[in-house]
Amino acid sequence: MVVLPSSRAPIVTQLLVYKVGSADEVPGKTGIAHFLEHMMFKGTEIVGPSEFSRVVSKNGGRDNAYTTYDSTGYYQTVSPDRLELVMRMEADRMANLRMTEKELVPERQVVLEERRMRIDNSPSALLDEVVNERLYGQGQPYGMPISGTVADVEALTLADLMDFYRQHYMPNNAILIVGGDTTPEQVRELAERFYGPIPARPVAPRRRPDHGASDLPQTVSRADPRVREPRWSRHYLAPSYSKGESQYAYALQVLAQLLGGTETSRLWRALVVDGKRALSAWAGYRPNSLGLASFDIGIHPAASVTMADVEGAVTAELARLIDGGLGAGELERAQNQLLAAAIYAQDSLQSGPRIYGGALSTGSTVADIAAWPERIAAVRPDEVIAAARHVWQPQRLVTSLLTPPPGSR
Amino acid sequence: MTTRRRLLGAALASTLVGLPTAAGAVDIKVVTTRLGLRVWLVQDKSVPVLSLSFSLPGGTATDPAGQSGVTSLMATLLTDGAGWLDGQAFRQSLEDAAASLRFGASLDRLGGSLRVLAATRDEGFALLRLALIQARFAPDMIEQRRTQTIASLNQASQRPSSVAARTLMTTEFAGYPYAADPDGTPDDLRKLTTSDLERRAAALLERRGLVIAVVGDIEADDLARQLDHAFGGLPEGTLPPALPDWTPPTRPRTVVVERPVPQSTALLALPGVLRHDPDWYAVVALNHILGGGGQRSRLFTEVREKRGLAYGASSSLRAYSKAGLIVISTASANERIAETLGVVRTVLARLRAEGPTEQELADAKTYLGGALSLSLDSSPAIAGLLLSMQVDGLSPDHLTRRDRLIEAVTLDDVRRLAHRLLNDELLTTIVVGKPAGIVTDP
Repeated sequence: MVVLPSSRAPIVTQLLVYKVGSADEVPGKTGIAHFLEHMMFKGTEIVGPSEFSRVVSKNGGRDNAYTTYDSTGYYQTVSPDRLELVMRMEADRMANLRMTEKELVPERQVVLEERRMRIDNSPSALLDEVVNERLYGQGQPYGMPISGTVADVEALTLADLMDFYRQHYMPNNAILIVGGDTTPEQVRELAERFYGPIPARPVAPRRRPDHGASDLPQTVSRADPRVREPRWSRHYLAPSYSKGESQYAYALQVLAQLLGGTETSRLWRALVVDGKRALSAWAGYRPNSLGLASFDIGIHPAASVTMADVEGAVTAELARLIDGGLGAGELERAQNQLLAAAIYAQDSLQSGPRIYGGALSTGSTVADIAAWPERIAAVRPDEVIAAARHVWQPQRLVTSLLTPPPGSR
Repeated sequence: MTTRRRLLGAALASTLVGLPTAAGAVDIKVVTTRLGLRVWLVQDKSVPVLSLSFSLPGGTATDPAGQSGVTSLMATLLTDGAGWLDGQAFRQSLEDAAASLRFGASLDRLGGSLRVLAATRDEGFALLRLALIQARFAPDMIEQRRTQTIASLNQASQRPSSVAARTLMTTEFAGYPYAADPDGTPDDLRKLTTSDLERRAAALLERRGLVIAVVGDIEADDLARQLDHAFGGLPEGTLPPALPDWTPPTRPRTVVVERPVPQSTALLALPGVLRHDPDWYAVVALNHILGGGGQRSRLFTEVREKRGLAYGASSSLRAYSKAGLIVISTASANERIAETLGVVRTVLARLRAEGPTEQELADAKTYLGGALSLSLDSSPAIAGLLLSMQVDGLSPDHLTRRDRLIEAVTLDDVRRLAHRLLNDELLTTIVVGKPAGIVTDP
């Protein structure tokens, strides 16, 4: 339980995160964590089907939920005098969820429409699913799509969902985060009253492999008539805070920032400003992951620039960084950008619970979160280069090419 | 103190303690500067940052003929080099101040926002001043932004949600300035010259009609000084002529845009009311009951919950200066979209015929009372609200009166407006995808 008191506004957010996500599914049953997230709104013994959100709304609040690879979160934002109400309801559906065929049948269609909207209607999202499958391995935790395959979602049964619920939804597998206009004492009292009586049960250990797919490197491509502007991207297996050579996790954040975090970054300057070979360029790395993470680079090539040209230019930039080292002030600028983003995050009441939820469900501690600014500020130039050498290995990557069909551009 | 140490200190500062910003409790000071600029200020020292938002009349709807996109492109280029700083140097100066500065244009207005640390506000305001009066419009930056804009228009032409949004505007506002794409057409963009951009900047960047909102850690007298410095280089100017009145469509239309996707995206629009209409809050309540926030509207219940026809089914109000719309948004598999649209029409017809229930209106009032407070969770969000209140001609005490205005809405009001507005004879329907059983009926 984490409480983030703030009297800045008379509102309070409850976020309950279960330490289970799509990566805890097994092949053939993909999409179950996300489907269950939907069914959690379908009622209990005392709250009628779909009443949950209606009650929150009637009380002037908002609620929603999300599913990631590693966690499933449910949150409500309400006025402080309604915290008791939403905590009582959240605890109720932790223990007493009721699912019926009558509710399941239309919700399955909703889940499939969500997938069509987010994935099937988007060529880049479809390609990214293939990238993850190749990078982490088919049937491996991060190689399966969060929303599940259409065939799996169509075949999931009430019993499947109930089993998953019973195996993972219990107080000892959940993290409670409350932020806003409240006190730790009040939250503790409410949490003990509502979550306290729910019995703990044994939870199976979570499995995340120490390695990615066995047949790397790979190149995947998708030629799609819906693509008008091609995209080149590359995805390197990378350590996270929890898996692999975690000592590089802070240096990698700085590396991603100075390589492709802003319009003054190395890739942007080399490819967009100086070389005019790209319309945009970016790099990204997110260390909050229970298993291995990825270090991603993406380029939108300029007209008449080939994918081979782009790949050559990126490769040259990576080599230049490793061989030539960092420029004067370059490291500090990237660190400052990251620190500034953390300050602005404090300015949003919603971002606190989200940051804690993402970190605590993937193995980080409250102390880790508190030490983040100092650890980012302490990253040295040689650590950035060592992290780059460790991650940018030619046999640990997937390259992906998104293009219009041949001859159409 | 170095930037690094200031940043580290602020990043490590313990969490938030400070002023209450419940909607009704927002303490707005109206500050008038020496130059006569008026700014709405909410002081909040809980986080050492400040957020400034401003806007002035003159948006993309008044792009000169043959120069669509000029206002948006000009706005982007304001932060791509100014004075002695080229594009890269300008961005690095912003980064060194840990500041973000952005300009953008809507149909009706040109606006900007600055977010900066309290400790680096001098640098932030200086860069704002530079962007406003000495933007470079350098040829290489024009070329870069032009190419990026054309590429993003190309990609948007295949994204179902973007195609639907664009087609809705060209259909609903055919023959009216709101029909033009705010980002322009590729053909017009290719022809834009440096002097077109400079002329547009000179025509719009004036002090007339300027509204400013600031939230955060700054004293009123310091803010007044900073604003006079930042905006003082702009001429007073004269207000641009208002757009002509818009005549809403008088018959139903359906437009299908074919795209090779498995799911059809639909937008439906009805004429609504303008922001200063006395019935505004009754229409806000009507929209909430029909398909507004909180997930449990009639559209959500009938389309998603009971039938599983779509992931989303919602409605929202759009209030442009010359037009109001009620816009319904949903998406279903190609073979099911016709059924979905049938359900949407039935929902509209029933709400029109019967009006809402007492309970629905009571729930809507509770939600709408609380919803504004919930949305004021960051200083940019509060600054955005203060800015839109000024654009809408509301007074600073509006937030204390808003609850009473919502409370005063009667069931008869909402019934009357449901009957007037939810008229399927005025419904524009846009469907993008390969919808089965729906054809264009223009």
